[in-house]
Amino acid sequence: MSGIKQNPGLYKIVVTHYVVAAFCFLILSVMMLFSVKAFTGHYFHPQILAITHMAALGWGTMIILGASYQLIPVVLETELYSEKLAWMSFALFMPGLTALVYSFWVFVPGIHMQSGAILLLLAVLLFTINVYLTAKKKKQETIQEDFIFSACICLCLTAALGAALVFNFTLLIFPQDQLHFLKLHAHMGLIGWFLLMLIGVSSKLVPMFLVSSYQNTKLLTYSYYLIIGALLYFLVDSYLFGLSLRTYLIFTIGAAGITCYFIFIVKCLRSRLRKHIDLPMMNSFMSFILLKIATLTVPFIIYFHLKNNPVTIRFSMIYGEFMLMGWITALILGQTFKTLPFIVWVKHYEHLTGKFKTPMPAELFAENLLKAQTVSYLIFCLTFMPGCYLLFLPLIYIGIAMLMVTAMLYLSNIFTVLFHKTVTYGKL
Amino acid sequence: MASFDITDPLSFLKEQMMETLRLVIDPELHINIIDLGLVYGIDIDAEKKLVNVEMTLSSSYCPMGESIISAVKNCIEGHYDDYAAAVDLVWEPVWSYDNISDEGKRLLGM
Repeated sequence: MSGIKQNPGLYKIVVTHYVVAAFCFLILSVMMLFSVKAFTGHYFHPQILAITHMAALGWGTMIILGASYQLIPVVLETELYSEKLAWMSFALFMPGLTALVYSFWVFVPGIHMQSGAILLLLAVLLFTINVYLTAKKKKQETIQEDFIFSACICLCLTAALGAALVFNFTLLIFPQDQLHFLKLHAHMGLIGWFLLMLIGVSSKLVPMFLVSSYQNTKLLTYSYYLIIGALLYFLVDSYLFGLSLRTYLIFTIGAAGITCYFIFIVKCLRSRLRKHIDLPMMNSFMSFILLKIATLTVPFIIYFHLKNNPVTIRFSMIYGEFMLMGWITALILGQTFKTLPFIVWVKHYEHLTGKFKTPMPAELFAENLLKAQTVSYLIFCLTFMPGCYLLFLPLIYIGIAMLMVTAMLYLSNIFTVLFHKTVTYGKL
Repeated sequence: MASFDITDPLSFLKEQMMETLRLVIDPELHINIIDLGLVYGIDIDAEKKLVNVEMTLSSSYCPMGESIISAVKNCIEGHYDDYAAAVDLVWEPVWSYDNISDEGKRLLGM
């Protein structure tokens, strides 16, 4: 047997994560509004550090953790090991996030920043244990399982290195400077955690939502080994020697891995049964384009870095923006309205379906709000990213204003889904 | 796919139940489960008043699997008062696009 085993406990965990993430997204856009000038400077800036961690943890990771509790059992075809562990992880994550983001914002690298980092590390360790014990119940191994579990390990390592960097502000643990380790920390998070996790989960969900006949996972296997290989090579090589000509090779290996994933997605798209692509899926496809753009900025970062040209910093900023505010954000903005309505629909209608005519999951969210959200987000991408590249403040302001609109529309639509009242349209 | 034996006295009731199951809609594809070819057969135990629906899902990790199964049970029990329904979920033969009826293909825009 398969399928979502919906129970009130799991529902609460998942919904809590979605709601908190939506609020974090709104707070993130407000934080960005108060830091417009910081986007024209170096990324190692208190406000940029606070914003990055709010985006990566409060927004991206929070919603991935919530969705994981619902989707990992689906992807791994078994039930979640423990709801208690999930709540404990959340209870550690929230104060950790607040302490870390606030202390970055005011930049006081003391006890609050350190406790925040430790709490976050403990939270992600509990999440990883929960995923590991969930996967352990399952006999058959899949490439998705490799992606997901590797991603969890990378999340723990990212949090551990992050905590060490926080302590390094006051205890000077590392002989090299903070920036040397910052790129390792950032790539372990962006590539190791986000990329592996999102490929692992989406490679099951995208074919399912498109009802695709493409079942071959060979491309995903290539993708996994190429990305993991590139990441490990980058971490070791960059730690020992910094960026060099070899970094181009590493980039090529990683890009080949991402290309394999893209080809997989294109094959799913071509063999899809369902010809109509809905708005949530359109958002998801937009995210793949943004990932492609982010990837294309990497050779420029390496090139200008090797030339000791400060433009490398601007490209690094653009890269981070396309990854966090582009690819990850677009994917979440779309997939939320594929997953959350289903979760809420199951709670309201599972016992009624077959007896009464009921709304479909896609009718639980407001289509007009989603359309407006898509448009405002698109304007954000078209103004904010070029604004940061051109160091043109009015464009950055317009972009951030549009992001705030996107966040408000997103939040309203989340509540539209959550406050849905059960309706039936007569007996079948 | 389901087939009917004219010599079977219950064949008419089976066909009627199959038609009733057209009311069960796949929540993602918005198409009924009969046109999707998910139902492989119906077995009726007239004495025990028990209906056994043999069916599959489009994928073994379909997140809506529980809902579809629950809908099938609800649908049979709601329309045939005396009968209790059970679902036998099978993975052989594996569901493929060939199972979809012409009407299902038309609805999917294929």
